[in-house]
Amino acid sequence: MAHRLLVRRFWTLSSKDLRCLPVSSSSSFSTSLQSSRVPVLSRSLALASLRRAASFNVQDHDDFDVRVIKSELPVLVDFHAQWCGPCKILGPRLEKAVAKQSGKVTMAKVDIDDHTDLAIEYGVSAVPTVIAIRGGDVIDRFVGIKDEDELESFVSKLIGK
Amino acid sequence: MPPIENDTGKNDLKSQIQLLIDSNQVMVFSKSYCPYCVKVKDLFKELKLEFNAMELDLIEDGTNYQDMLLEMTGQKSVPNVFINKTHVGGCDKTLQAHKDGSLQQLLCAETEAYDYDLIVIGGGSGGLACSKEAAALGKKAMVLDYVVPTPKGTTWGLGGTCVNVGCIPKKLMHQTAMLGTAIQDARKFGWEIDEKVKHNWDTMKDAVSNYIGSLNWGYRVALRDKNVNYVNAYAEFIEPHKVKATNKRGKETFYTAEKFIIATGERPRYLGIPGDKEYCITSDDLFSLPHCPGKTLVIGASYVALECGGFLAGLGLDVTVMVRSILLRGFDQEMANRAGEHMEEHGVKFLRKYVPIKVEELEAGSPGRLKVTAKSTESDEVIEGEYNTVLIAVGRDACTDKIGLDKTGVKVNPKTGKVPVSDEEQTNVPHIYAIGDILEGKWELTPVAIQAGRLLARRLYGGGKLKCDYINVPTTVFTPLEYGCCGLSEDRAIELYGQENLEVFHSLFWPLEFTVPNRDNNKCYAKIICNKLDNDRVIGFHYLGPNAGEVTQGFGTAMKCGATKEQLDNTIGIHPTCAEIFTTLEVTKSSGGDITTSGC
Repeated sequence: MAHRLLVRRFWTLSSKDLRCLPVSSSSSFSTSLQSSRVPVLSRSLALASLRRAASFNVQDHDDFDVRVIKSELPVLVDFHAQWCGPCKILGPRLEKAVAKQSGKVTMAKVDIDDHTDLAIEYGVSAVPTVIAIRGGDVIDRFVGIKDEDELESFVSKLIGK
Repeated sequence: MPPIENDTGKNDLKSQIQLLIDSNQVMVFSKSYCPYCVKVKDLFKELKLEFNAMELDLIEDGTNYQDMLLEMTGQKSVPNVFINKTHVGGCDKTLQAHKDGSLQQLLCAETEAYDYDLIVIGGGSGGLACSKEAAALGKKAMVLDYVVPTPKGTTWGLGGTCVNVGCIPKKLMHQTAMLGTAIQDARKFGWEIDEKVKHNWDTMKDAVSNYIGSLNWGYRVALRDKNVNYVNAYAEFIEPHKVKATNKRGKETFYTAEKFIIATGERPRYLGIPGDKEYCITSDDLFSLPHCPGKTLVIGASYVALECGGFLAGLGLDVTVMVRSILLRGFDQEMANRAGEHMEEHGVKFLRKYVPIKVEELEAGSPGRLKVTAKSTESDEVIEGEYNTVLIAVGRDACTDKIGLDKTGVKVNPKTGKVPVSDEEQTNVPHIYAIGDILEGKWELTPVAIQAGRLLARRLYGGGKLKCDYINVPTTVFTPLEYGCCGLSEDRAIELYGQENLEVFHSLFWPLEFTVPNRDNNKCYAKIICNKLDNDRVIGFHYLGPNAGEVTQGFGTAMKCGATKEQLDNTIGIHPTCAEIFTTLEVTKSSGGDITTSGC
């Protein structure tokens, strides 16, 4: 009775694209995950914390417009999902790589189940997908996991180092 | 039928006629013997146009129709032709319209005026398969899908019952339970495992939910990639070609389409007794239950009931199943009882011939404590029991009553809510089709809906001819001892062919992997039903044992190819397996011979 064909098709893709390899979540990532699950964080609060924090959770389409598309700084958009193991590994690595650039780049986190339209619009098929946006244009992207060195060079390229 | 005198009758008739005109691109009021009518119908056939012809001489109140048509159009004679709701006239006018191109104009005008070629209502297996196929064939297709939350507030994503609250989580939890058995067996095979083995509900539930989350996303992406427009909104017909879609914020949007497919599926039925919706859960809630259900009462003996009760018991929970009459209605009763006996031997309690009359909450909590009162179906006896969770699994109802079908004229069985369709999945309204669990007298199985949906799209848009074959559909019930079958149950075969024309071959067997742990000896069972009048063709296949789905699938193909007993006998078995039993079946049921097995 299983939904065989589609399931199989999906998993074929997933193993190829690293769509979502089941990885058990480590407790050290739980804080960042929880915060991404709390949409009650008010806009003003989020905006206030933006000045200090290198990364933020996208609240809705308008928020994405203001803080990503119209951002003066280049932005890394991390499309992730609760159910995605690799996302839980990549997220903190990305944050670290962004933090290292001390304010030259920001990071926007988009939960694809909460903001499906955004993910669909930006052609996200598998998670994690990371998109680099500068001046409203997508200038680079990757799908799946990267190690810290690779991330660093990806970020450096974005800020034109 | 006498002429209609009163206004209500007249208005009813008028709206009936209007509905026919509105819901058919080409509507012909005709008489079967009239040569002009034949001429017009031939023209439409030649143009390969779908049309609905109502033969007024063949229906009881044909003259009333004719009178009303006169009132509505000023034309009494037949044929009386309507195209896209516009009155064209009789034979001459229709032929003239064809000649001067105005007929074509009438046809095109409306087709372009629709927002979509096809709107599918329901984003389950069938709806998704059908919409994607239609889009792949170049049609503008839309899927409207919306999950109405359960009384407990449970809701889920895209993909329908199978993916979210059916086959997928069910099989994963069944697997969880089987791993528990495997751990017990493992000790006998030399694995040294701590005595205390515990199961963590939350870990399992989260893992299952995560996998389902990834599937939901996969479906969403597939729709985008195939250019199917997806809207997460509740669809209701407001006109034969128009639906109102209400999203979760209450915003209403309207869409029109040339054709529609209803694929809304079913939802669990409640009991209609005090406390059922307040305190009980259904399979819609179970798979994402935020806490371990604890001591559980399962009400019902449907396959959903036995599967859920089975895996809960396999997790080590105290499980009772309350049965009104028989197990697995519609399935082979001998097999059903054997599957039930196996559950009973493995600790599931059965309360037979009782029906619940009320459920009360003794203590709220996660889980809380509930008191269930039930009465005997045979006497005045009333019993009470205390449980942490009460799971209702007494059947499912088609979601056809709140989608505005009355606005379309689509006929629904008033008792069951099911939709009767032709062998091409067409309802009585030509531009509206239906697939999946809501169909009357068809299988409620995901792969059947997928097949029906895909073939329907190919027939509608790809010149396909193939119809969905609802005969010899293999399926499996994932009870702790799995039950796979294909074709007829023994009970049904006797009804259809008569006992004297059947030969039933059967055998118990003991899977090799059960021998070392020394469990379930001679509990597994294989049975085939052969038609003596047709070369001992296999018309029923039944298997109770491990990996029933894997075993049954191939035999399903064999039966599609018309396998006979002789062909099974000539097939070489794979040793040592369970499936090989079907190549060596010798004992007939009528002989009363011994069917226990031992050794190779």
